[in-house]
Order: sequence, then structure tokens, then C-alpha cells
Amino acid sequence: MAGATEQQALLDDIVAKLELALQRRYGQAARVENVSIATLGASNRTLLFDLVEATGRRRLVLRQETLKSEVSPFISPHDQFEILKVVFRHGVLVPEPIFELEPEDGLDVGYVMACVEGETLPKTLLNAPEFAVARKRFAAQTGEIFAKLHAIDPSEVDFLEKVVDSVDPLAAQISRYDAYCEYHPGLDVGIRWLENNRPKDKPRVFVHGDYRNGNVILGPDKIEAVLDWECAHIGNAMEDFGWVCLRSWRFGNIDQPVGGFGPRSELYQAYTSNGGQAIDEEEVRWWEIFGLLRWAVLNMMQADGHITGVRRSLPFACCGRNTSMIEYDMLMTIKGHFS
Amino acid sequence: MSQDKPDIKEILVTVKALLEGIANKSKGSERYDALCGAFLLSVVDRELDFGARQDESQSGELQQLLGREGSLSDFYQQFCQQVRGGELDEQWPAAFDFAFKQVVDKVSVTNPKYLAEMHQPE
Repeated sequence: MAGATEQQALLDDIVAKLELALQRRYGQAARVENVSIATLGASNRTLLFDLVEATGRRRLVLRQETLKSEVSPFISPHDQFEILKVVFRHGVLVPEPIFELEPEDGLDVGYVMACVEGETLPKTLLNAPEFAVARKRFAAQTGEIFAKLHAIDPSEVDFLEKVVDSVDPLAAQISRYDAYCEYHPGLDVGIRWLENNRPKDKPRVFVHGDYRNGNVILGPDKIEAVLDWECAHIGNAMEDFGWVCLRSWRFGNIDQPVGGFGPRSELYQAYTSNGGQAIDEEEVRWWEIFGLLRWAVLNMMQADGHITGVRRSLPFACCGRNTSMIEYDMLMTIKGHFS
Repeated sequence: MSQDKPDIKEILVTVKALLEGIANKSKGSERYDALCGAFLLSVVDRELDFGARQDESQSGELQQLLGREGSLSDFYQQFCQQVRGGELDEQWPAAFDFAFKQVVDKVSVTNPKYLAEMHQPE
């Protein structure tokens, strides 16, 4: 864990380079002000700042990749930026993509996008009175967003065909699990169940892959933007439904499957009435069980970052032991006790 | 194990109280780190209470299921590989029951409050 001084030095270095990067694009008068660290996420560092020019001031976001791993489950920042351009063009609610970092910026890899005002903290969204209206609309609005996203011709994002999750998502998770050389009887029983109950092939669509409570910006009245496109791939539309309904993303509101906000019926109804394909609830259940395997493996990844010393962190150490609770949810779902 | 005082349990209680005190007086990542540290010490505490008994019981079950001798870590590896390869499909209920019990054991150590009422430790 970096000390406070070390972290401040890192931040100062990033800000200095960011200002030069902006001057290269917007002229020598460009300045960086009001910098704040939004997150130090699993795969990226997110910084908020004002771009100040003679003509005015604009709040922007810098995202840099921080995870360097051979078994990274995340697509490159370049591909994320390309996706942002495609979905923005199609009117999906995302922050406007501004520019991609280049080697001469000296800021590693990443991109700059517009800042969207709102809140992402799951428990605040589920409990704060000011989000009451947005909460009520969340499930239906998610159905509308999924319908719009899944209608995008996958050929527009054909660079995602190379992503292992586009080829065989279950095989991709198994390969990541195996990379950590751990043996979890619960996960292997889950894997066997998933193998024996694979859904039939369906037309393949562009899926977000990580749409959940926590990766969406909400304003008081509605969803304002969908974030975190690093798990996007081509696949089965039901995967997005399974992931947003995962028990882990309900944050205690277990009787409200859609992110802890609302019922499945509102999500499904909005999806189909906006042109989405018919929902197969058994298939969604398969994708939820798959999602729990995936979430367990992602927790193993965090713990591995701590154990190997790549990213020492007490929360990441906790992730390793938290896999047991995800395995529990997985097996309870297979047994039919959880839905 | 040392017979000197304080014993392991007392050491855990002392350090956990320190971390909880730090968490109560701090904010942001320092508070979160302190809470995580206290949580991890409670995991250690429960593993000291239940770990050996769980290992013994799981070893016995796996010995019967796999029909061989070995260490628990060998058994886990064998079990996972055999389940994955479909070799335990004919004993699926027994394999599933073992995996489920092992997971309940782990959650009993990590966070027993997370378990449904039917699986709460007595």
C-alpha cells in the first residue's frame, strides 16, 4: 500500500503530464484544476478534473489502466474507447468520449471522457431519499438500455470477436480460475453443472458484460450513464440479464433482483416492448449461476494481486476469503433455495 | 503452542479492538483498511475454533468419496479434477453434498452471519 506522500507524488506526476497532454490538444493556455481521485478500481485509476481554457471550463474524467496481468479479464483501454465511440453514436447513455492517451503523453494507456454528474455508490443509491424516483425506474430503464445496446450490429464492434469471452465465456472463466492454481470444490461442482446445462446457441449480440449496481451513474430521477465497458464482448443477450440480477449486486435488497432496485418483470417487460428478444428465464438463471462463478474468480484475482505483492491491499486480501460467500450463493441457487 | 500469556485468542481480541478503535476515529480508505483488518482477524479467530475439526471431517468424507488416502489439499485437487472431468457424475448427489458442506464450513469461518438460518452454526 502506497503511503500518503507516495500517493501525492504519484498524483502530482499524473496531473503534470495530464496538463501537457491537454496543452498538446487544446493549446498552451489549457490548465488542469480541481483534481480528485474518484476510484482506484480493480483495473483502472479514475481521476476527475476541470479542463480550463480561455473559452471556459469543462469537467472531464481520466481513466488509466492499472492492472497488468497476463490473465486480465479486461479488454484494452483502446478497445474500451472504441466502444464508447460506438455506443455514444447510437445514443446509449454513456459519458462522451473525448480523446485517447497516446505514448507521447507519458500516461500509460487510457482515455479521457466527459464527466457525468451523479452517484454510483450502491448502498447510497439503494437508501438515500434523493434517489427514490431513479430507484423506481431503474429496472425498466435498464430494460430499455439493454434493448438499445443489444440492437447494435455486432459487426460495428467486430474487434471484440477476439476476446476469449466472445468465443466461450464459460471456458474463459475456467481458464482464469485455473491460472490461480486454487482448488475450490464448490466452484468445480458449479462448473460441472454449468457444462451439463449449457443454454442453446442464440443469435450473438453486443453485451456490456459488467452492467450492475455500482457501474451505473444515477441522478435523482434516472440513470444518467453506463460506465465500465472493460468486460464488453459478443455473446448471449441473457448474460447481461443474469449479471445485473446477481445476488451480490443487490447489496442486501435480495427481494429486488434487478440490482436491489426492482423486480425482474419490469426489466423484462421494458426490454421486450423496446424490441428486445423474448426472455428465457431458465437461461437467465444459468447466466446468474455463471455470473457467480465469474464473480468468485474476480475475487480470486484481487486476492492474487495482494498475495503476489503486485497490489498489496487489505480489501483485496478480504476478497480471497469472500469467495466462499459467492460459492454459497452459487450452490444455493443451483439447489433452488435462492432466486 | 506457547503456554505463555496472553494466549492467541487474547492477542487477537486485543489487536482487533485496536483496529476497530482506529476505524471509529478515521475516514475513507484508512477506516476501510482498519475494518478489513478487524474482519480478517475475526476470520483467524473462527478458523482457530473450527478449522481443525472441519479439516478432519472433510478428509474423512473425501477419503470415502474418492476411495484413496492423502492430504486434504491432495483430496481437494483430486475432487475438483474428477468433478470437472465428469468422473463423479454417477455419484453426483454425494459430490454436490460434499462441495456444499465444504462451502458452508468456509462461510462459517469467513462470515457465519451470511448463512441462511438452516445453515447457521449451532
